[in-house]
Amino acid sequence: MHKELEHSFVELLEKHQNIIHKVCRLYTYDYDAHNDLFQEITIQLWKAYPKFRGDAKFSTWMYRVGLNTAITLYRKSKRRISTQDFNDVQFKISAEEYDDTEEQQLKLLYNAVRQLNDIEKALVFLYLEDKNYREISETMGISEVNARVKMNRVKTKLRTILNP
Amino acid sequence: MDELELLKKDWKKEDKNFPKLSYNEIYKMILKKSSSIVKWIFIISILEFVFWVAISFTLKYTGFSDDIANVESNTTFIVMSIISYLILAYFFYRFYINYRTINTTDNATTLMENILKTRRTVKQYVGFNLIAIVVSVGVLLPYFINQDPEAQTIIENATANGELFKFYAGIIIVTLLMLAAVIVILLLFYWLIYGLLLKRLNKNYRELKKLEV
Repeated sequence: MHKELEHSFVELLEKHQNIIHKVCRLYTYDYDAHNDLFQEITIQLWKAYPKFRGDAKFSTWMYRVGLNTAITLYRKSKRRISTQDFNDVQFKISAEEYDDTEEQQLKLLYNAVRQLNDIEKALVFLYLEDKNYREISETMGISEVNARVKMNRVKTKLRTILNP
Repeated sequence: MDELELLKKDWKKEDKNFPKLSYNEIYKMILKKSSSIVKWIFIISILEFVFWVAISFTLKYTGFSDDIANVESNTTFIVMSIISYLILAYFFYRFYINYRTINTTDNATTLMENILKTRRTVKQYVGFNLIAIVVSVGVLLPYFINQDPEAQTIIENATANGELFKFYAGIIIVTLLMLAAVIVILLLFYWLIYGLLLKRLNKNYRELKKLEV
């Protein structure tokens, strides 16, 4: 029974792993930290998996546990030796896909997102993942109105960072 | 164009840039141990309970044993020690119930509130112990002074020299300083441990609650 549970979990996670990678992308800036957070989210998901019921979509459930781990449970790892910028290694925006201006603008945008606080990043993440305000408010445990207000503030803040 | 819209367009293309972990790599991860703050809060809280129980046992069964034995024959002190165990049981029960409600699948605010609630229970227990220490010192010290033959001799000498006030003032000042030192050390310890552990959670919780009415 336990083996079956393990198997079904690992299979589901393998399929949906990008959700975790995306959370790590927003909250960590180097390779080691990315892996560290990825591992912690995986452990938290696995611990909560017996309580997972098919009525919620596995991916929706992953958003919640993933973000909760990133903003609440995760202790930043002390063994941070590599300070190499993750952007330069793993997520290099390929030049052929974008014209120079757009590439430049995106780079500035990602840098601006980095300067947001944990909660603002969570809002941006859910927004980028096409979640509506109802889903954002349910995931964060705040009212829908508050979610809207906060999101507008994030947009303003991003604009201020981009055009000081 | 809206900045976030531009980002969204790119975000969707990110998928192919992520490392693709294999079944085995993920399987290895689920066998590893978590290092979440909830785990640390649990460990530290258990240590706190053990610490205070150990202190009460040490005081009972070592150095002060003879004096305490006299004291314990007194019904008041038996009742007090039963009450302190009941209080310990109560706090431990509440801690356990709160700990059980921590659920990573809750929404972010509820999760943070449940963690803070669990932490608060232990904090109240520590507070209770600090007050208990101050009260017991206040109650026991005069008792020991009255019972201890050595102290009686000193008091008699002091009375003869007219230095009784100096004697009591000295005792009170030394006791207060020792109590203050113990409390400061403990508070510093808590401030360090929980300050570091919960700094991020507290900050994020305040941020979430900022606009809520």
